Amino acid sequence: MDWFEKELSRALERKDPPRGFAERVTARAAGQGGAPVETRSGRPRAFGLPRWLPVAAALLLIAGSGEQAWRRHQGMVAKQQVMLAMRITAGKLNHIQTHMREARQ
Amino acid sequence: MKKVAVLWLVGWLARPLPAQQFKFNLEHLEAKASDSVDVSLNGSTLQFAAKFLDDKDADEAKVKKLISGVDGIYVKSLSFHSDGAWSKADLDSIRAQLREPEWSRILGFKSVEDGETAEVFVRTQNKKITGVAILAAEPRELTVVNIVGAVDLDSLADLSGHFGLPKLEPAPAPRPKKQE
Amino acid sequence: MIQLESVEKAGCDFAELVREHQSMVFSLSYHFLHDRDKAEEVAQEVFLALHRHMADIKSPDHAVSWLRKVAVQRSIDETRRRKRRPQVALELVAEPAAHSPSRDPLLEEVLRRLIATLPEMPRAVMIMRYQEDMDPTEIAEVLDMPLGTVKSHLQRSLALLREKLERRGVGDR
Repeated sequence: MDWFEKELSRALERKDPPRGFAERVTARAAGQGGAPVETRSGRPRAFGLPRWLPVAAALLLIAGSGEQAWRRHQGMVAKQQVMLAMRITAGKLNHIQTHMREARQ
Repeated sequence: MKKVAVLWLVGWLARPLPAQQFKFNLEHLEAKASDSVDVSLNGSTLQFAAKFLDDKDADEAKVKKLISGVDGIYVKSLSFHSDGAWSKADLDSIRAQLREPEWSRILGFKSVEDGETAEVFVRTQNKKITGVAILAAEPRELTVVNIVGAVDLDSLADLSGHFGLPKLEPAPAPRPKKQE
Repeated sequence: MIQLESVEKAGCDFAELVREHQSMVFSLSYHFLHDRDKAEEVAQEVFLALHRHMADIKSPDHAVSWLRKVAVQRSIDETRRRKRRPQVALELVAEPAAHSPSRDPLLEEVLRRLIATLPEMPRAVMIMRYQEDMDPTEIAEVLDMPLGTVKSHLQRSLALLREKLERRGVGDR
């Protein structure tokens, strides 16, 4: 590597992302836990359930937690789906609004 | 046991869907998609989910208010690795349904350079809003949203500023035209 | 007896992948876009996509090459989306206060800006070569590009950047 390529390597050294990045990403990923994930076949899973969900559901039943825990579990799934839908909708509306404002300027 | 649990859960969640107000007709694109999101929530699921939305969380409180009059939310979003996976005909088959008399287009933009279009349609019946449709297309992404029911448009527009999106300041009022 | 199914393969825990590769992904986006805020957005999107595709990740090495590929793709997508929008002025990223006396922070910044002006694919190749220290064969595989094209992009981009630097009065040392 000549001096120029060494300078390029220095210029392109990895930079740390802003503080808290990993925490923000992990939190967002947890929020999208209900999102459909592609299976190996490439088809989205039905209703976007995470893979662990049926097992967790079965365990709840076996543990004898009863109907209350089951309903809470179902509620969390439904909530994640709602938030995912609204997140996508908000993103698209934001995009449209941004373009409309730019067009007016 | 796991399979039985899956069936129970799927059975509960897969109660008959109230119709979306128009067909998305995008199944043929799913095989080409690198990423897809498919959400179908009927009224009773939404009411049930609302009980678990936290009033103390700004985003969740906003959503809870928005879905209070809503009977269904349907979202399909497909991402592709390359341009050209979807065609104008795919969009036209949806737009044709949104040309029915009860639908009106209220917002839209088209960017020829970026290959993007996006439109918002509102469905009304007896002067009341009964649905919203959003159609957004980019070279490598197609998203269709149908919100069924009494949607509060102000609350919907106000979603900017939530979900990590920047709050958009209100646009300056247009200058009044000079009278000739 | 129920067997627990784990979506997390050994060595492929999501949170761990984020911690381990956040600098790589952020830097790929930052050097591509030269916009710190956008780079964070793109980097977040990349990891969220990873989360959705965890089931497809076969090994830690596969995770790395997957992340590189998607980071570049999403950065290119973001560049195309920005074309009609008011351009954010290329920012000066604050250099760390303490650095080797042999380094030239101004030159490094000029080089970063010049790289950000390269067309998308040559830019991606250069960033992978000089940020990630990948060889042309690895770059060709990640970007799904013929090896000859990678080498050609490298040669031409190096020549172009040298020429632009010389015009600024920074010649061979």
